Amino acid sequence: MSSLRNAVPRPAHKERHQPSSRKTFGLLEKHKDYVERAKAYHKKQDTLRILREKAANRNEDEFYFKMIKSKTVDGVHRPVEKDNKYTQEELILMKTQDIGYILQKLQSEKKKVEKLSAMLHSIDNNKPLNNHVYFADDREEAKELKLQLSKRKTSPTSEDILPSLKRKTERSYKELEARKNRVNQLEKVYMDMAMTKELQKNGRKRKLREDEIVNPTNRPVYKWFAERKR
Amino acid sequence: MGPPVRGRGGSGGGFRGGRGGDRGGRSFGGGRGGGRGGGRGTPFKSRGGGRGGPRGGGRGGPRGGGMKGGNKVIVEPHRHEGTFIAKGKEDALVTKNLVPGEAVYNEKRVTVQNEDGTKVEYRIWNPFRSKLAAAVLNGVDNIWMKPGSKVLYLGAASGTTVSHVSDIVGPTGVVYAVEFSHRSGRDLVNMAKKRTNVIPIIEDARHPAKYRMLVGMVDVIFSDVAQPDQARILGLNASYYLKAGGHFVISIKANCIDSTVPATVVFDNEVNKLKADQFKPIEQITLEPFERDHACVVGGYRVPKKKKDAE
Repeated sequence: MSSLRNAVPRPAHKERHQPSSRKTFGLLEKHKDYVERAKAYHKKQDTLRILREKAANRNEDEFYFKMIKSKTVDGVHRPVEKDNKYTQEELILMKTQDIGYILQKLQSEKKKVEKLSAMLHSIDNNKPLNNHVYFADDREEAKELKLQLSKRKTSPTSEDILPSLKRKTERSYKELEARKNRVNQLEKVYMDMAMTKELQKNGRKRKLREDEIVNPTNRPVYKWFAERKR
Repeated sequence: MGPPVRGRGGSGGGFRGGRGGDRGGRSFGGGRGGGRGGGRGTPFKSRGGGRGGPRGGGRGGPRGGGMKGGNKVIVEPHRHEGTFIAKGKEDALVTKNLVPGEAVYNEKRVTVQNEDGTKVEYRIWNPFRSKLAAAVLNGVDNIWMKPGSKVLYLGAASGTTVSHVSDIVGPTGVVYAVEFSHRSGRDLVNMAKKRTNVIPIIEDARHPAKYRMLVGMVDVIFSDVAQPDQARILGLNASYYLKAGGHFVISIKANCIDSTVPATVVFDNEVNKLKADQFKPIEQITLEPFERDHACVVGGYRVPKKKKDAE
């Protein structure tokens, strides 16, 4: 029977929607929408009620340290900030670790520069000639020598090298230059850090005036007072 | 509160799964993933194998076959006989290794293949460790050492430069290496074990008579003793072993002789001392970018004067 009834086409039941005259109020609320809204409303009301009850039953003598160690900033709970989370010793230790890392990098970079410069002799560069002295017995021989030398000046290597090899050589030289720069930078950073570390230690010291500095630098120079240890 | 919690858990699981998948795809985890899952294993394994293959080929290729783009380095002879210049990733002074496959002081070596398939190995000569190399790179005219020369080397130390001199003189030449210190002499002896043309002598170079049984007449004396009386030491040794018309190469460290006067003055004084000892200096060169306040003086010994009268 039911299957026969199912076979008969029935008009589709359309749910009522918001009439055009009330379109300004948005979509028409259906029952399932109402249920959701009501549940949310009652949940909020329950929460408020529980909070009110808790406030009413509050113990006047109750105390937690958080009550004085924290405060609200724009409604957000924040612990009161401490000036310095770490002790002086801890700070010094951390900084020495930083210095250690910088020193390690500096040394490894120096080693690499050494390795590279051992195999890059800049053979084609024209050397300054003033470092070469020839000895002659008398003026005549000196003249002869000069003549011979002026004839000789030729570059030591041939120029017809494969471009791929030439590029490789250039790349090596570029790497060497970059590493040398890095060594310089790391050295500077290391000196700075070591200086600040020394300044943090105990011991009376003072900053030298400009006219007291022997080797002029643009950095501050300090002098420690002589202190008898024993 | 229920639904959100469940959602978080679900999403976390999702992330984890995703990460796992990523790991399988990454290069380092490929092999591991392949080993774990049987079904998944095959594609990963094959990929890993494919990846490993070309790498091995790329590394071994230029050495084994030499077909791919030729040599990585070319080596051409330097002005001085026995020394060469390597061009490629390095731009260096090299000497032909007398003992292929062996480095003396961890120096870099370069191998070049000739047209007929034979391989030649060269060793890079570090000018920061060897004053002779520094002099050569600074453009000294003649070091008077060439294949077949007999060289007396005073102040051999651990034998770094000696090994290169032994490369230069080759199997037909001889290097007598004198070193006083036992500690560095040990390294020198070990080096000489592998190089038949080096004769190590652990003696004081101030007393050349002590090693007269070992050393014959030589063509060149190289002196790198860094002593205040090095000119005298050189003169003594030359009087014993240097042939008339032979040559000397001496490296002078200004600080070792007199640190109170400027370097150039020290060099001039040393040259004058040498002149008084029957030496005739020919040229002097400073080793500036490689060593500070060092000079290398090259000259002849008991040079016959007749030649000049004939001219």
